[in-house]
Amino acid sequence: MVSIEELRACAAKLLDEGKVKAVIGYRRGSAGLLAEPCVIDQPADTESLIWDPGCVHNLALYLVKDKKAQAASKTPDKRPLAVVAKGCDSRAVAVLLQENFFKREDVVVIGVSCEGTGVVDARKLAAKLKGRTASQVEFDGADGFKVTIGNTESRVPASEILADRCLECRAPSPVLNDVLFGTAVEQRELAMPFTAVKAAEAASEEERWASWEHHFDRCLRCFACRSVCPMCYCPECVVDSTSFVITAETSAEDKANRVRWCERSAGSGESALYHLTRAMHLAGRCVDCGECERVCPVNIPLRLLNTKLEMEAFEMFEYQAGRDVSQASLLSSFRDEDPNSFVR
Amino acid sequence: MLNPAKTMTPVQDDFEPKIVAFLCKWCSSAGSDLAGVSRLQYPPNAVPIQVMCSGSVSPLYIMSAFKKGADGVLVSGCHPGDCHYMKGNYFARRRLFLVQKLLNFVGLEKDRFRMSWVSAAEGAKFAEVVGDFVRDIKALGPQRRLKVRR
Repeated sequence: MVSIEELRACAAKLLDEGKVKAVIGYRRGSAGLLAEPCVIDQPADTESLIWDPGCVHNLALYLVKDKKAQAASKTPDKRPLAVVAKGCDSRAVAVLLQENFFKREDVVVIGVSCEGTGVVDARKLAAKLKGRTASQVEFDGADGFKVTIGNTESRVPASEILADRCLECRAPSPVLNDVLFGTAVEQRELAMPFTAVKAAEAASEEERWASWEHHFDRCLRCFACRSVCPMCYCPECVVDSTSFVITAETSAEDKANRVRWCERSAGSGESALYHLTRAMHLAGRCVDCGECERVCPVNIPLRLLNTKLEMEAFEMFEYQAGRDVSQASLLSSFRDEDPNSFVR
Repeated sequence: MLNPAKTMTPVQDDFEPKIVAFLCKWCSSAGSDLAGVSRLQYPPNAVPIQVMCSGSVSPLYIMSAFKKGADGVLVSGCHPGDCHYMKGNYFARRRLFLVQKLLNFVGLEKDRFRMSWVSAAEGAKFAEVVGDFVRDIKALGPQRRLKVRR
């Protein structure tokens, strides 16, 4: 079990000693059972830190945002940041370190182990509760959650409301950490990895396209998946160019000749291009934190696209994102025995 | 809403596929040149686009081609070990393997995307690759899945 008092004490100590400028963690949110991310810079405020199955967010995102803010600032605060990281979040930090986005000494990883379970899927929980609203979810042993509804508490088996990504998780405790709370768990057997992708693959080409066309058609292009992803840190996105500034002097010819990979209209073809490009950009980088799927307002199963490539990378190239900070990235390395039979 | 992809008949007799071929400057472009110079007969459906290396073909080029209505995309480069830039085609092989898997995963027909190694001396092989590709795509009919409908 993760001892929240120890975690708070650790965060307070880091702030007290001035080792970090702030601790990024979770606190009780105003939106029901889900925690909310918080940035704490006073030791006294660490009392509000929590750790429960509602801590769904990937906090590595805020390390990226801090780095970007530093780059934009004239007087950047270069002291390190501490971050509370689950298994998947620590993998995200590892990938960012591998890509030299920031340096190892710029971040203090306070690892929390998910042990036997993980975080809840609010949609699964809502379906299970049939209209009632849970106010809090707590860990209860290695395979269950304690769900509080009003004044009553009930125990729900973890496998019923656990997020899909947690069911398929291969490394529930943070591999990269400076301090670890809870017991490190190597393997667990809730579900086999890549279950969802393999199920999707079993359908025929026509069925797959029918379902993806339906999904791409519904995409609003709100770019929530991009905003929430710690790996989508490009200053300018290829599908959403912001550097082409149209002024009164911009000629019609300039406008017509500008390179537009993706139009703004939200048709299924344009959305398909966006999602496929995003999946390719995350190949070998996606740590399967599942945030893109969680924040999607129209429930597009975005995780499938990313885990499909994750599965291919694992099966064909024995590559796992975030396993090792010093490994060469998937697409900047090759081996002579890479698959060649698909080439004529 | 009626889906035009489902209501139209997929195969028309006079269907001539449009194929976008990304050919590396050092091998496959020269290979296609040789096919022409040798007066080999092969279908005229492939539009060649010369790129400096197969490793420079971004997945975005391929998806963009499909989005704009290409019926097939061919990427062709030097044989492994022959790359002018030493290892560009190895990077391409790994990256385009993933592209091919991803496109097929969302339901694009497997035969629509093809990769080949054609050296500067293999004019006949280039003609054969394009011939096979055109034949396979004619069997599939026009590509309407990733094409933008206006």
